[in-house]
This record gives sequence, C-alpha cells and structure tokens, in this order.
Amino acid sequence: MIRLYDYELSGNCYKIRLLCGFLGLAYTSVPIEFHPGRAHKGADFLRINPLGQLPVIDDDGFVLRDAQAILTYLAARYDPARTWYPVSDARLLGEVGQWLAFADSITATASAARLHDSFFHDLDVDAARAGAHRLFRILDAHLWFAEQEGRIWLCPAPQPTIADIACFPYVILSEEGGIFLQDYPAIRRWCDRVKRIPGFVPMPGVFPAGPGLPPPLTAGSV
Amino acid sequence: MLNAPFDLWFPIASSSDLAPRHVFHAQLFGQEYAAWRADDGYVNLWENRCLHRGVRLSIGINDGAELKCQYHGWRYANRTAGCTYIPAHPADAPARTICNNKFPVAEAHGMIWTRPDGRTDAPPPLLSEPLSDDAIVLRPLPVNAPSELAAEVLLTYRFHPEGDNSSAAVTASRVAPFTVSLTSEAGGHTARLTLFVQPVDLGRTIIRGWLSGVTTPAVPLLQAHDAGLQVLRDRCEALARALPRPEATAPVYPPVPAELADLPATARSGGAAALRVTVSRKWPVAQGVMAFELRPLRGILPTSQPGAHIDVTLPNGLVRQYSLVNAPGETAHWVIGVKRETPSGGGSACLHDVVREGDVLAVSAPRNNFPLRQDASMTTFIAGGIGLTPLLAMAQTLHHRGLPFALHAFAASPAHLAFADRIAALRPHSRTHFGRTPDETATDLKDLLAGYAPGRHVYICGPGPMLETARRIAADLGWPDAAVHFEYFKNTTPLDLSSTFEISLARSALTLTVPPGRSILDVLRDNGVEVPSSCGQGACGTCAVALLEGEALHQDVYLNAGDRRANHTILTCVSRAVSPCLVLDV
Repeated sequence: MIRLYDYELSGNCYKIRLLCGFLGLAYTSVPIEFHPGRAHKGADFLRINPLGQLPVIDDDGFVLRDAQAILTYLAARYDPARTWYPVSDARLLGEVGQWLAFADSITATASAARLHDSFFHDLDVDAARAGAHRLFRILDAHLWFAEQEGRIWLCPAPQPTIADIACFPYVILSEEGGIFLQDYPAIRRWCDRVKRIPGFVPMPGVFPAGPGLPPPLTAGSV
Repeated sequence: MLNAPFDLWFPIASSSDLAPRHVFHAQLFGQEYAAWRADDGYVNLWENRCLHRGVRLSIGINDGAELKCQYHGWRYANRTAGCTYIPAHPADAPARTICNNKFPVAEAHGMIWTRPDGRTDAPPPLLSEPLSDDAIVLRPLPVNAPSELAAEVLLTYRFHPEGDNSSAAVTASRVAPFTVSLTSEAGGHTARLTLFVQPVDLGRTIIRGWLSGVTTPAVPLLQAHDAGLQVLRDRCEALARALPRPEATAPVYPPVPAELADLPATARSGGAAALRVTVSRKWPVAQGVMAFELRPLRGILPTSQPGAHIDVTLPNGLVRQYSLVNAPGETAHWVIGVKRETPSGGGSACLHDVVREGDVLAVSAPRNNFPLRQDASMTTFIAGGIGLTPLLAMAQTLHHRGLPFALHAFAASPAHLAFADRIAALRPHSRTHFGRTPDETATDLKDLLAGYAPGRHVYICGPGPMLETARRIAADLGWPDAAVHFEYFKNTTPLDLSSTFEISLARSALTLTVPPGRSILDVLRDNGVEVPSSCGQGACGTCAVALLEGEALHQDVYLNAGDRRANHTILTCVSRAVSPCLVLDV
C-alpha cells in the first residue's frame, strides 16, 4: 500500500490525491501538520525528506519526494493505459515535462501568495501575485488557442496528462492568495473540465463541478 | 461616477466563452455579471451575487436548466431567474418574489452584449459599421488600463492583412465611442479589424475584436494579432502605471423595491388573471386529453416550480386550475394537459372545443401548493389518469438532478396515457399500468408502497377513489402523514354550510359573523379583506389561513390528518367552525 505524507490544505499533496483518484489507486494518508505545527520542518519528518517539503510517498519502501516527481512515478507505474504519462511519445512527453516545470513556477508564485494570505508566511506578496498573473496570461492564451484547434487539455493529446494535474491545484486555489481568475476565461473553462474527469476528488476550497452535457441520444436509445 | 453612454450595447463576452454547463464571470463599469447558457441555448445574464448570502454566482453550477449557488444550494431557473428550490426548506415552495436581478442580453456577431441602462426594449446591438459574415472573433485581451487610454494606443496598431511581417498601408480611426476601426492593405489584399474596448471598470479594459476580409487559415492569423495586440497591451499598462490609480468602480445596486421591503398593504386576490398568454400549440396527447402550449404575449413567464398550477380564465368566463407539466429549464412556455370531463362543467369542453391555436387567454401566475421535496432517499409518484400532470413535472425535475424516483402512471389503456413521450424519456424510472380494475390497482399500490423507510416520500394525484385507496394503504403500511403528499382534482365531500359562527380577525381587528350558506372567504371578501383563493372547493390550498384559536370543521381535501389534528390551518373557502368563534391570523 502506498503511504502519502499528506497535508489536507496543501495543493502539492492534492496533486497526488487527484492522480490516485483518477487511477483508482488506494493509498494511506499520513497527516503531517504543516500549519500551525510546522511538523514538516521537525526532526522526524526531516529524516524522511531533508528538504522539509510535502508531499512524500513511500511505495513499499521506495521513498520519493516532490509532487511532480511522484506524479511521473505513479503514472508510469500504475496507469495501464499509459495516457497520464505518455512515455512512448517523445514529443508529447517533452510537452508534459515543460508543463511540469511550469507547475513549479505556479507553486513559486500563486502558492506563495496563498501561503502569505492564508498561512501568514512573510514574503513579497505583490511580487508573487504579479508573477502568477504573468504565468496565468500565458496559460490562458495557450488554452484558448488549444480550444480553437479542438483540444481541451494542456498537452496535445485526446486525454488529460499529469501536466493538467500538476497545474490545476494552485490555479484553482489562487483566489485564496488574492489572485482572481476573472481575466482568464479559458483557464476557468479548463478547470471545469478537470473537475469532470471521472474519479475527481475535491479538497477544501475546491468545489466539484456539476454534471457535464449528457452524451447526445442515439437512435434507439429511448 | 462615470460619465458613460449607458444607452449603448456593450460586448461583455465572446459567444464561445459561454461553454455548455459553464458560468462565465463578466464585468462592465464595475457591475459584475454571471453569464450562462442553458441547454436550450438561452443566454442568462444575472447580477453576480446570490440573493441569499451574496456569494458570487459565477462559482455556481450550471446544470443546463438551473443555476445552483455553491453556498447553500439555492436553485434559480433558466430564463426567469426565479428561485425554484431552497434545500434548507425542502417542504416549502420558494416565494415567487425570490428572483435574481436580470440584465438585458443579446447575442450577435459572435459576442454577448448588454446595456448598462437596463433597457430590454432597445433595438439589438449594431456595430457602427457593418461586419461581414466571415468576420472572425479575436481572443479577448484583458488590459490593466483605462479603456480611453487603450483606445488611443490601439490607434497605433499596425498589421499586415495576411499576418506576415512585411509592411502594409494601415488606416485607423475612432469610429464610435469605445470602437476603433483599422484597415490594412497590401498586395491587393484588404483586411479590416474592428476593435472594441470594454470598460471593465475605471482602470481595467478588455479588448475585443473582429477581423474581416481574410483568406489565410484563421488560427495563425489569430495568433499573429494576439501577439501584436499583446505588445500594445504592455505599452498601455506601462502608460497606465504612470497615471494616478483610479478607484475601482463601485457597482450601483438599486434599492430593494418597496413591495419587497414592506409588508404588503393589501393582499392581492389570488384569482387575478394578471398574465396574457397565446395558445402557441394545441394537440391531442391521449384519448380525450388535449395539451396546450402557452407562450407569453411579451417578456418572459414568471417562475414555476414542479407541482405548481395556474388559473386559466376561459372565454366563457369560467376559471379552471391546471398543473404545469414543464421540466426544469423549460421556461419559454408552459404546457398543460386538459382532460375532457363528461359531463363537463363547461371548463374542459370550452378548452377542447372553443379555444384554438393563436387565441389569447388570461392566466394567473403559477402557484405551488404541492411542493416537491428534493431531499428524499427515494420518491414514488403514483399518477391516476390526468393526475399525471403535476407528478410528471416533479419526476422530470428529479430525473434532471439524478435523484432516485419511480413514476407509476395508471391509465385505462395505452391510448389513454397522456404525454407518453415524456414518460418514455424517464425510463427506466417510469412504469405504466394499464386497464387495472380498482381491486388490481389496490394490489399494485400495496406492492408500490411496501417497505416504508424514513426518507421515502410518495406523491399521489388522481381520481378521488384511487387517492383514498392509496392514502389508506399507505397509512396501513406505516407511512407517516408527512411522507404522503397528495392533490385532489376536486372535493367531492358533501359540504355542510348550515352553521352560524363568528370569526375574529387578529390582524385586521374585525369580528364578523358567518351566516349559513356563506363561506368564511365570502364574508372576508364582503368586508374588504382579501385572501387569495383559487379552486373555491377546498382542493388546492390557496385560501389557507392560520387558525389561532377555536376548533375548525374541516371540509376540504387539502389538509392531511396530521394538519387537521394540529388545528393550525383552515381552508376558508369550505371549512367552518365547531366552536362558536374562530380567531384567524388575517
């Protein structure tokens, strides 16, 4: 059984919970009190991850840290369809990697602003918000042009990839850091689509979407 | 405050922004909107706050027929914006006055438009210059700068008609407030760009645009303009940073209208046939049953809820009540089903024989005395004959929401089954029972009502004897009164109108005598006290008032046994007093 060192309000831990939900993968959550206990900086946890960061997984003794790294490992190992992390398609894999790095930039900006507003971290929140807006403008334009070409996910594949999972949490939670999504309509539509992937799980601050359009009726189905 | 031309139409979204089952967050002059497209294609543009606690509706759920607030789940109907359900009050029908603020909305040239002055009768949006049919809509570009500044900077935009980097002859002008028109000519090609600067508030703008006269594939050209306009956006924002920062525009909220803020001075009589509707379609839906589709002469119909009925004033002066068959979100018209009664009291015969398509009828706003709970673990609907109509509206609602239910429609034969298409669409949750004798019906009902468990509810509507049987069986099988909901077509109880008694009106400070042969309602109306009423025979519940003291002689078929024991309510059209005096909360 996979053990996930987890914090309920962490967007990075949420990435792992999302992928497990989509893959139907069972795991045990080991809560680490990030706030206010700062247990992730305590001696016990530093022995698991010297960086003092969440999440970490322990898959039968194989210990791995970093949300994006864990996504690639779990998808490569446990997705029988090989669509979440498409290892056999070099270009697509490259694009996935590009958006995983982009997700790290979102963490450095949008998540930082949320840490300032909601967890009282001392940092330059104006710079964090401005940085998030720069990224969201790029993301919104990317998604708008993808829609023009009939694509609905971050990478040019018919199915979502771990790139969508990696970017989603701190985008949808950004309003908790004073970064409003009103100016990013294509991002808002993409968030609806992510929420409608079968197996989606919410977290505090993330509401589930309503049902999507039912499939068109075919002759004889009534 | 802004000195803005509020009598213009402003684009506030691209048509493609209103994706199916999505809620778009728009803003103009500081006013926020929730914009959403229902499954029937209708575009709703509402103030972006739930009437209840002010939460933004743009984070709510568009289920294709209704918008559900994310906070406490209040549901608002497509088109009418009226509240259809309040989860915290599952047994009550929301008041018709609970209705979100709506704004005028039009869809044209691939965009969604509104008018800040709120005028809905204005002509549709026109651009200051005609737009060719092949015009393509650019990606909207938000800019953190005032729209006036953005318009000035856009005049400096230079582009090639085919999107490449070579030079072209470009002319640019302000053709209207908020509108910049540019033409580019090169190598015999001419492309025109019409740009609109949407004032989000005093310091924010969205650049929207149309490109016409292009021959190259759209996406590379759209990308070229996007890149070119982004350069101008950055220049705009740099200029805006040097300006004094404008205050965010505060939206102006109209004061709550007096009729909502105050207690009503005098109640309006419930029979008021305030609406005029056209019979847009009349068609047979079963042997002896005609369906009528009613559309408003102008504007939109008021909100209805599943189980609601309307009073229809007929050409011969009679007034009859008919339940609405409408499914959630089906708000452009009402549908009623009318069975020809034999012998007819004049109502059904008039609708069948006299009323034609195109006729205008006077009807009341919908009234819901048969509200549907939407929190049951299982809901069973038992419909006899034309009693199907309110239950069909209810079943369609639960079906749309994916809540568990079973609809059992009893009819003499398949030819007697009304609205068979709607019933079929509810399969496998709908079942038909044909040609059952009273004894067989009782056997069926025992099966259907077996195994009561808390959380189950049953709704029954049909002929009197079937209703009596169903209610008796439900009681025998342990169903509590609160879980058995019913509606009679008519009251067949023999009425005793012989007594004389006093009524004391606690609010009106009047004491009146009700003589033999007159009802409480008659005496109230004779003395200028208005109480709404509808059927006049103790079946619909519209004329119910609170009973504060005294013992009532209930002669209606609306209240259940528990209501009667509680002795808190009396139907003033048929019920009377056992005690010498009744104190009413009127």
